[in-house]
Amino acid sequence: MEVVDHETPSLENGQTDKEVEENANVLQFMDSMDAYLTLIHSLSSTLRQGWLELASARHSMGASRVNTVLLDHTSHPAATSLLVTQDEGKVDSGKPHFILCKWASSSNENSLLGEKQSSQDKLHPQLRHRGSTELCEEKTSSENKASREVDDPVQKERSKSLSMFGTLVSPKLRAAQLSFEAALETLVEIANTRSEMLCAFDQVNMKLEGRKDEK
Amino acid sequence: MAGVGNVDLRRKTNYLIVDSKTTVKQIEDTFKEFTTREDIAVVLISQYVANMIRFLVDSYNKPVPAILEIPSKDHPYDPAHDSVLSRVKYLFSAESVASGRR
Repeated sequence: MEVVDHETPSLENGQTDKEVEENANVLQFMDSMDAYLTLIHSLSSTLRQGWLELASARHSMGASRVNTVLLDHTSHPAATSLLVTQDEGKVDSGKPHFILCKWASSSNENSLLGEKQSSQDKLHPQLRHRGSTELCEEKTSSENKASREVDDPVQKERSKSLSMFGTLVSPKLRAAQLSFEAALETLVEIANTRSEMLCAFDQVNMKLEGRKDEK
Repeated sequence: MAGVGNVDLRRKTNYLIVDSKTTVKQIEDTFKEFTTREDIAVVLISQYVANMIRFLVDSYNKPVPAILEIPSKDHPYDPAHDSVLSRVKYLFSAESVASGRR
């Protein structure tokens, strides 16, 4: 005669769910730690490239033109900034998330440009009555114009940032600037990965402490 | 060069250039200032400079601003000294594994 125990499967499921959750936390911790180390390695190589380009620029422009003495000490805001948000409504709420706003003053201009474009479209509805191919060409040219207008403020901000080194700068210096911009993006990713890793570590640690208390 | 430098009206900067004349006290004071400012979300510190104020960096445990130790030109990054990795490495130690198995 078989005795079917209906209670055991649910208990097993309860324990399995708990184990699955613990394993998921441990996996998340290991993944974020691996990502952190990989990003640090990537940052090291990007920074090395930037320093090499900076050294080349210093060699071609002269040590007096590429120097910390030239740093601008007059009042000026940072063109690049960070936005910090909190992950709300989640179990691990309170984990910060960092978003990079590169050349932020130009992004304000971009939003203004976008609004201008849409308002101009509203003011000139007769464009819609033209043939489809002409409309497509006009749309493409307006999109190109918009993208050029978007890039121009960014380029202006970049040139403004390099203006402390003089009007005409070596292409290596511009390349170094782009490398350091890329390094900055990697740093923001590292900051986000770091907060994920610490959050996962706290959860794993809590489980371990709970087990020790039970014993 | 990436546009993160900020100088306010009182000529206070959001960076500190560490050279041979910079004292450890100056570095400590600047670290404490940057970690309490509300307009700073991430503090970048080269690992070489972080080692000079290691106790202070390791004892910092707030989520914001995030402290990121980065390599410098003359001193490559060493994961063994990273404050975040040293905080979590005990999970991989034999002692923690043994205590979990008891």
